[in-house]
Amino acid sequence: MSFVAGVDVGSTYTKCVLTRRDGAVAATIMRRTGFRLPEVSREVVDAALERAGARRDALAYVMATGMGRHQVHDKDLYVTELTAAARGALSAHPGTRTVLDIGGQTMKVTRLDEDGRIVTFRLNDKCAAGTGAFLEKTAHYMGYDTEEIGALLSTAKGSVPISGVCAVFAESEVINHLSLGTAPADIMLGAVESLVSRSVQLLKRVKGESELTLVGGILRFERMSQAVVDKLAADKLGRGITVNVLPGADAQFATALGASLLGWQRLARRGATAESVHAP
Amino acid sequence: MRPFPELEDWQAAPLDEVLLQCRDLVEDPELPSVKRFRDEGGKVLGHFQVYFPEELAHAAGMLPVKLRGAPIDPDHAESRFGSYLCSIIKTSLELALNGSLKLDLFVSHPICDAARNLSAIFSRNFEHPSQILYLPQNANSSHTVTYLRGEYARLCADVEAVAGRAITPGALARSIEVFNESRRLLRRLYDLKRSRPWLLAAEDAYSLVALAGLLPRETHNELLAWVLDRLPERDAKREDRVRVVFEGGFCEQPPLDLVRALGRACYVVDDDWLIGLRYLVEDVPATDDPLLALAEAYIERSSYSPVQHDLRKPKEDMLLQRVRGAEAGAVIIAAAKMCEPGLEEQVAYTRALEEAGVPFLVTEFEENMTSFTGVELQLETFVENLLFA
Repeated sequence: MSFVAGVDVGSTYTKCVLTRRDGAVAATIMRRTGFRLPEVSREVVDAALERAGARRDALAYVMATGMGRHQVHDKDLYVTELTAAARGALSAHPGTRTVLDIGGQTMKVTRLDEDGRIVTFRLNDKCAAGTGAFLEKTAHYMGYDTEEIGALLSTAKGSVPISGVCAVFAESEVINHLSLGTAPADIMLGAVESLVSRSVQLLKRVKGESELTLVGGILRFERMSQAVVDKLAADKLGRGITVNVLPGADAQFATALGASLLGWQRLARRGATAESVHAP
Repeated sequence: MRPFPELEDWQAAPLDEVLLQCRDLVEDPELPSVKRFRDEGGKVLGHFQVYFPEELAHAAGMLPVKLRGAPIDPDHAESRFGSYLCSIIKTSLELALNGSLKLDLFVSHPICDAARNLSAIFSRNFEHPSQILYLPQNANSSHTVTYLRGEYARLCADVEAVAGRAITPGALARSIEVFNESRRLLRRLYDLKRSRPWLLAAEDAYSLVALAGLLPRETHNELLAWVLDRLPERDAKREDRVRVVFEGGFCEQPPLDLVRALGRACYVVDDDWLIGLRYLVEDVPATDDPLLALAEAYIERSSYSPVQHDLRKPKEDMLLQRVRGAEAGAVIIAAAKMCEPGLEEQVAYTRALEEAGVPFLVTEFEENMTSFTGVELQLETFVENLLFA
């Protein structure tokens, strides 16, 4: 049996999704990216193969994507996160016309045409204010780890305003709120809402259409996805847009899944077998 | 002369280390190899883009150096040129004004309105002589080859005066043989780019060509032969990339980081980067009149560029030949900012490619650009449209 690996080397985590020819997911693996990108990309593929009970020679194609896509070990091709995320979103929700992808260091909104091709897209500014790093820093200021954000948010009773303009300035705001006795959960929710406001601005810039599918590591937090839904419902331009929220960790693996499926598409397009692809 | 002074026994070094040294040498705006040649008593002839018969300088014992600009700020040169002119014209002069490049003779060919004045500007700013080589504007006259032979002979007198050595037919014939060897090696390099592009990164292939314009040609021949002999043994995976031709690098050069970005997104299987160093596409035959042989080769057996006009080889047809010869799936048509000849050809190129059904991307670059995100994103989007259409 052949497999295709989609390897998404993100700024914070590296994900691998191994799929079979029918598109079924055989294994998913995630590791912290760190600073040795070729090594971590190899590790996730090896771990995914092991989890699927497959040998290395069963790997028909490796499609790389993400910030570190150029560094992926033994890749056959790379694609941008935009293309991979769109494919991942479409595989779960074929009616997707807009994709919101919030990762560790970037926020991207992509509008697709009826055939799933990218029509236009927008990225966040160069700073990390509108990204997962902003939430992570806010959590760290208050002594929480990244993985505790979800649980912390679930206890929020309200939110306090946090400026999403700059992650550095936000630190002093967080300290001010803490000194006034505000609950960390409410500060965290304020940071989430600030981030959501920025994402909605990007959605407006690409003239996002229904259906909107949310992908990216940050959107694995249920409260984050809910905040996007609420904000769009409250916003005049966002009403009527159907929002697809991927369950569990699927949002985090959507881009790697898309890359893997695109690998199969390349193999089919070339009419090639695994052997002929790798032949000199 | 050794190519890398800090790597004494370079032939014992790993291939990757040698390629790294090549990139460093090409990117060094201080032109250390030229400096060393001059420090050891040699004389240097600097020639501006696109084509120059380097054999003439070589036969007189001079080092022909290709002036191809540099990724530097033209602080001094800005005062000599209008802001509406291209970058290469300014940075080539800047290299001389800031002392990085010391010449004994400068030669340019009036390839465009900006370059037309370059020799005059050099002559007003430096004590060494500056000359203009008037390559024929009309390649289709029956007198063109004779005219060009006479023009080469005129230039020889200036070269001899600076070098203090006569260019004898025998010396010129020996130089032609050295450059024929260079041409054979460069053809081998491009054959490899076309047949097994995964063996050599685009920026490494570029650097290997560029060094021909910076090193004594015998040294370059030795280096290039050494690299070419080792490339087939390289353990490199063939990736599933689109094969493209890059067109638009005949004069101003894209920065090496841009070449690297292009090479990451696709296989650049043919191009016109530094085409002047590869302009004669066949060996120049050994004859009793080597000047005539050189002139004839330029007219009859040469490549193409937007600054040579020859009705027998319409540039758009030549581009299609290049695409087919390289079995390329797409073309990147680029022009340097403010490059009139490059921009003019884009019209004919795009029309011909459209008619032939060859996908293409039109973009622009500048030698001292530092951000490649926009160009890379354009390119990646273009490539993905081809891959997943």
